[in-house]
Amino acid sequence: MAVASGRIAAPAIPAASRRWRSRPAQVLGVVALMLLCFAVARDEIPWPGSLVWAALPDHVDNFQGWLIDQRSAADPNLIFAIFDGIRAFAEWLVNAFTDALLWLTWIGVVAASTLIVLRFGGVRAALTVFAAFVAFALMGLWEPSVQTLALMLAAVSLSLAVGIPIGVWAGRNPRVHRTITPALDAMQIVPAFAYLMPVVILFSVGPAAAVICTMIYAVPPAVRITALGIRGVTADTVEAAKALGATPAQTLFKVQLPLARRQLLLSVNQTIMFALSLVVIAGLIGGRGLGDVVTNGLYSNAALALLAGIAIVIMAIALDRATSAIAERTDPTRRHLTDEGRRRARIATAATFAAIVVIVGLCRALGVADIYPDEFETSTTLYTATIQDQLLDAIQAVLDYVQDPASFVFGITEPIGNFLVEYALEPLRVVLVETPWFATLLGLGAIAWIVSGRRAAITALAMLAAIGVMGVWEPAMDTASQVVVATAIAVALGIAVGVWAAESPRVERLLRPLLDTLQTLPQLVYIIPFIYLMPVSRVPGVVASVLYAVPVVIRLVTAGVRGVPPDAVEAAGAFGASRGQILGKVKLPLARESIMLGVNQGIIMVLAVVVIGGLVGSGALGDAVARGLQRNEFGEGVVASLAILALGIALDRATQSGHGAGRTGGGQPR
Amino acid sequence: MRGRMMGHRRRYGALAATLALALGAAACGEAKDEEPATSAGGDETAETTPAKECGTVTINEQAWAGSTANTYIAKAVLEDELGCEVEITKIAEIPVFQAMADGKVDAVLEDWQHTDEYAKYIEEAGTVVDGGPLGVEGHIGWFIPQYLMDEHPEFETWEGLEGQEQLFKTAESGDQGMFLGGDPSYVQKDKELIEALDLDFKHVTAGAEPAQVARWTQLYKQKKPVIFYWYTPQFYNQEYDLAEVQLPERTPDCKDDAKAGGDPEQYKCAYDVTVIEKLFSKKFAESGSPAYDVLKKMKLTNEDQEAVAKAIAGDKEDPEKAATDWIEQNQDKVQSWLG
Repeated sequence: MAVASGRIAAPAIPAASRRWRSRPAQVLGVVALMLLCFAVARDEIPWPGSLVWAALPDHVDNFQGWLIDQRSAADPNLIFAIFDGIRAFAEWLVNAFTDALLWLTWIGVVAASTLIVLRFGGVRAALTVFAAFVAFALMGLWEPSVQTLALMLAAVSLSLAVGIPIGVWAGRNPRVHRTITPALDAMQIVPAFAYLMPVVILFSVGPAAAVICTMIYAVPPAVRITALGIRGVTADTVEAAKALGATPAQTLFKVQLPLARRQLLLSVNQTIMFALSLVVIAGLIGGRGLGDVVTNGLYSNAALALLAGIAIVIMAIALDRATSAIAERTDPTRRHLTDEGRRRARIATAATFAAIVVIVGLCRALGVADIYPDEFETSTTLYTATIQDQLLDAIQAVLDYVQDPASFVFGITEPIGNFLVEYALEPLRVVLVETPWFATLLGLGAIAWIVSGRRAAITALAMLAAIGVMGVWEPAMDTASQVVVATAIAVALGIAVGVWAAESPRVERLLRPLLDTLQTLPQLVYIIPFIYLMPVSRVPGVVASVLYAVPVVIRLVTAGVRGVPPDAVEAAGAFGASRGQILGKVKLPLARESIMLGVNQGIIMVLAVVVIGGLVGSGALGDAVARGLQRNEFGEGVVASLAILALGIALDRATQSGHGAGRTGGGQPR
Repeated sequence: MRGRMMGHRRRYGALAATLALALGAAACGEAKDEEPATSAGGDETAETTPAKECGTVTINEQAWAGSTANTYIAKAVLEDELGCEVEITKIAEIPVFQAMADGKVDAVLEDWQHTDEYAKYIEEAGTVVDGGPLGVEGHIGWFIPQYLMDEHPEFETWEGLEGQEQLFKTAESGDQGMFLGGDPSYVQKDKELIEALDLDFKHVTAGAEPAQVARWTQLYKQKKPVIFYWYTPQFYNQEYDLAEVQLPERTPDCKDDAKAGGDPEQYKCAYDVTVIEKLFSKKFAESGSPAYDVLKKMKLTNEDQEAVAKAIAGDKEDPEKAATDWIEQNQDKVQSWLG
């Protein structure tokens, strides 16, 4: 989660070229031309029907029908037999983890995880893990939490088993890397809703399907970070190994992998985070656990859904802190162990495991398994009202306040929501949808050219044209308008807060848990209050995407401003520049690259929330994707997902500002 | 170092032990989690009939309160009367068909006429069987708050809306009135209806049902005008006083599901009554389980279902308790399923 800070190297000082300074003017010029076209031929030239491949959704539907037929055939062919094998294995794995965790009993699980983290990650991380597990128990969500944890363990270990070898391969071979990058992009941008149904047809419902869906989303970061780590091993080192006569295998296992160790552990950490963000969606296809509680609670008990969402956040924070602490503490380049130290460490390890065995043995002997701590008793009274009930009451009280249209907060938020619709979302949508299509297409292409160069412009143009051919030009432009507004807000907010955090370490410390929460709390959960507070469709979706994207922007901006070489700042100070001048004239321009990266990543994050927006009234592409699953308009759903992907690629390429650095891969915190 | 480690161990061991004492002494919480068979500790239910006869029955709870109600009623009846072990899954409406085809889910008690899937799974593949109507009848329509109906009695029928659309104007509907559309996953044709009836409404999608409910209940609380897609049976109908706007009468070949596309004129009529179906996996239907016979006979009225759903979602009662309460008060009905 807190990866960005580690990854952004101090940017090279960009030459303040005249070309850049005039770029905003050029962009404005293009926009003015587009507006002129809009004024002249408003709503007269929509995307021509002759340029639409109308049969595409039907083809996709037929494909799905074919899949169902194949699956229910009496003797399935080899490929389906393999899928069945994968399913059986994944299911076995999840069940094995679940059974193992339940067998340990809840006290055993708490003890084992705390002690292991204590041994390898240190006291702070251990305390976090301990608090997290106790919280699951106290919230009355032990069972779903364990199911989710088991699902995570299975999905993450399989993702790593697949992702790390591919990552190593890609790290050693640039051509492989180039070939798989688009596939990785697609896996991360195409909304999970689009592939839920094919996954269900191939792998049926249940934990296995949930694991597969999670893997589709969690493998890319594993591949990317591993590749990054392998590439990070300097060529000199590899050269030296070769010169000493090492075989390629020796170079890999004795040089590259050990030196990339930090990145490898980071990829574990990121894979966990990505996997957790799919828990809720996995709930829709029998993934059980906390995701189930969230999706069902939304319809019948919003407070419970929120509570389960909080449990997911707690799990994410605990796993993040634990894995990053372990990565840090066990880094051989950081601790130089003597033989004596090594012997001690081994004894400590043995002691840890012995303690776990003793505790689990005791718990099983005492029959702790049958007792879940969602009720407690003092010597005099039994509290029948469980802690969960009290928590739910508290959350419900907040929700009730939020739902009350006479409340003070509503008096502030409602006008803001209305303002956003009337003065930002709707005008922009109208312009994008009703401008003659070729003007929009060429205009956006030209902007991409100005900002990012010719290659990017060609890609962007091709993607936009593809959207038109797929017959979803209008909803795509609608979605684009929402993405632009959300990104603008996220970037403005992110730069402001990011700069503040860069200037004050205390602010950054205070922000960290908040940003972690925003990134891991399922959007469906935090969107609930906003549905009430800003009751205008599209606005809750925009708010959700802003909240999801803003942490990344903040982190990248903070890292960028921090990374400004102190010499430059000192020099400016020596010339008598004020703090404001240093910030405005030195730090921000020097951090430009990081800030542009923030914009770029912000857009991608905003797009990731489009489908969730569809569930709360954003309409357009997100709506089509959600409906694709829920009403089995499969073809339309897939087409809309592809359009989201195309839009994502177009916007990504258009905002890379001509630097290869924009292509960051999966290292970005989510 | 070694001493310290041991100290840690002791301390944490002690901590865990204290926790065990503090919490372990507590009574066993209501095991309301539907746990998988793998983890089920003791089966407290097997008192009356031997559990073997029935075994485990998996019912899918759909994502709305009405379904929670009938699923938990079935669960309580099967567990208490037949000694079955009932597992509840919560899979989305469409994927659950494949789940039944694979025999992973035995029954869905409330399906709202997914005719495309019926064609695929019931008629073509034969992996799912139709279990007949649940007895609950769904009805979709255009609803407004009763206070608005009192103020504007002409809203009794859709003609009364003509020329009054401005009343429903909101920030997002521009200069038109706002029609609040239903959950996009539900059967609907309101856009087409608005066009065919030539009303000056902008169809605004609020998204999934909870979001839509949030929107209209808020306007209701503010006593503002609102018109929206809604349906019965729905527990909110017991909480909010709503009235229905009559749409043009049904014609023989009038359609309800705009998914089919085409000319809006062919949708120009009121929604038909939706018969809620029970569905079973073929495996379950042929297993000879006594649970199948009971579920096949199970019948509920709209009132039954709404009352239990209200207790669960409105009053936040435990679903198991709400179901057993209803069963106690409706023994005659329950006995008729068992007979």
